[in-house]
Amino acid sequence: MNLMGNIILNVAIAFLVGSVLFGLQRKIMARIQMRPGPPIIQHLLHTFKFFIKESAFPKTAAMPFYIAITAMLCVIWVAAVIVGPVTEGSLLLFFAIYAIHKIVEHNAGSSSGSPYGKLSCVRAVYSAAAEVPLFAVLIIIYLKTGTMIISNIVTFQSQHGALLLSIPLAALMFFVLILSKSPYSPFAITKGKDIVSGYETEHFGLLRGYLMFSESIAWYMLLWIFLTVFIGGLNPVGYLIGMVIITAFVALINAVTPILNPNHSVMTQVTLAFIGIAGSIITLLY
Amino acid sequence: MDKLKTASWFIFIISVVSIVYALVFNPAVWIVYTIALLFIPLSILSFGLLSMARGKKEEEEDKRREPFIGY
Amino acid sequence: MDISILGGQMLGIIPLGDIVLYFTPFNLFMFAAALAFTTLIAISKTESQVEAEFGTLKNREVKVDKSEFKIRRFLAIVCGLATAGAMVTGDLFDFTLFVALIAIVNIGIVAAVKEVDVLDSAFQYGLIAMIATLPLFGGAAIILASAGTISLLQLLQIPNSTMILYGSLLLFIGVAGETGVAPFFATKAEMFRTPGSPFLLIIHLSSLLVIVRTIEILLILNKPF
Repeated sequence: MNLMGNIILNVAIAFLVGSVLFGLQRKIMARIQMRPGPPIIQHLLHTFKFFIKESAFPKTAAMPFYIAITAMLCVIWVAAVIVGPVTEGSLLLFFAIYAIHKIVEHNAGSSSGSPYGKLSCVRAVYSAAAEVPLFAVLIIIYLKTGTMIISNIVTFQSQHGALLLSIPLAALMFFVLILSKSPYSPFAITKGKDIVSGYETEHFGLLRGYLMFSESIAWYMLLWIFLTVFIGGLNPVGYLIGMVIITAFVALINAVTPILNPNHSVMTQVTLAFIGIAGSIITLLY
Repeated sequence: MDKLKTASWFIFIISVVSIVYALVFNPAVWIVYTIALLFIPLSILSFGLLSMARGKKEEEEDKRREPFIGY
Repeated sequence: MDISILGGQMLGIIPLGDIVLYFTPFNLFMFAAALAFTTLIAISKTESQVEAEFGTLKNREVKVDKSEFKIRRFLAIVCGLATAGAMVTGDLFDFTLFVALIAIVNIGIVAAVKEVDVLDSAFQYGLIAMIATLPLFGGAAIILASAGTISLLQLLQIPNSTMILYGSLLLFIGVAGETGVAPFFATKAEMFRTPGSPFLLIIHLSSLLVIVRTIEILLILNKPF
């Protein structure tokens, strides 16, 4: 297929599936909490709706950073789609993309001049110190498979069986990372409701729709990496089923846990990262 | 038409044209990646800047005033 | 070992005498990201914060004044360029120099704010950064002494040894201290709460990107296979 067509198709799939999965997550959470909940396509509808809402830019914002940072989020996750489903490139690139995602959270919060955004910005820096070690799971995968290239990891798994079974602690670490990126999760301190909407507080109207567009792609891509790297060799239906299962599981956890305060959240993540890294290396050695 | 709208139209047209160019003519791989990375996000952003509703000029003064007047 | 199992297929090298810059999709992406953010910082205004005044019902707008803005923007651009350089350099000593430069300008960016709390944090950060130069350069020197080269592309071919492992551990400690914001100073909220978000962004950006790049370098130095 034409490369550009491939990229556009994958971006569109990532956006649509990611949005619907977000909607599904809210629905499941609502049902667990005995509420009817919004329709499953609500997140998708919101994204579209925000594009035609009345928008304005705060007088205090750092222009043009305030707008450019939303485009930056979209750029990095389009890059993730290219590295992931389109070319099956290097996992290290995902590490870089994730690091830049934290920076976007940081700056989207601070560029508006809102105190809520600023607090979220501080928390983004703070949580980066916990989430980047979690992303070190990539190194464990590298130690196990001897490669960072996704297509080679898939080949490795077709010969040696799924990595989910051979390095389960690494899979757990990655799951915690996915969990911390989901809305309403115990680790979602940058979007905690105590600071309104965190770094998105002052990005309303079309910029919010734009951020939600990129976040849907981000959610799809995180699930895609998890399924590809730890199970591997799935067909599209397999991916869809896997994503629905993970989303449902995340929704179950989010529905029954409160948002932790920043210190507890970071310390929990760091502890899990430590257990994951140390445990995996010990199991790899013996 | 104000500056923001003109710039948005300009960016939107450029990005759509370059995406179509990459779709139709199949240029070298790195050109396609550059176009995809730059112009897919920019086309969505500029489309959003064009499609968003703008506040009315008359209402601007009301919005600027402090909404909380309970002192 | 082949470099392409880490960052993807090698796209090209730029040999500048001893210093060889190399490009894989991974390095190129981070290089481009650092440059893109630097460009944005160069053209951005700073945000202003509206604070409630104590004792009255008025608000006060906290802004970055012009002289402070100029020096911080200059330092931020230098920091962005140094980060971009650290992303593509294929020379270990060059990398350590870039990291040291990043630390120096980061201290400058923080220290340009005229507030007691922020200056306090800048002072402590400065202490850590100064202490960390020893393991940073020491690690690179040990690697040079035991491998005989500091070109990453040549280090790829050199078999593992305990001294290289030791050197790379020192290097990692050095990098963690130099770009200390993410691991050590994230809790120092004063540093990030002041106005001037574009400049604070580059501190965070440089430290995270350098850490990501360091992981690639450590994997090049210590080959598990």
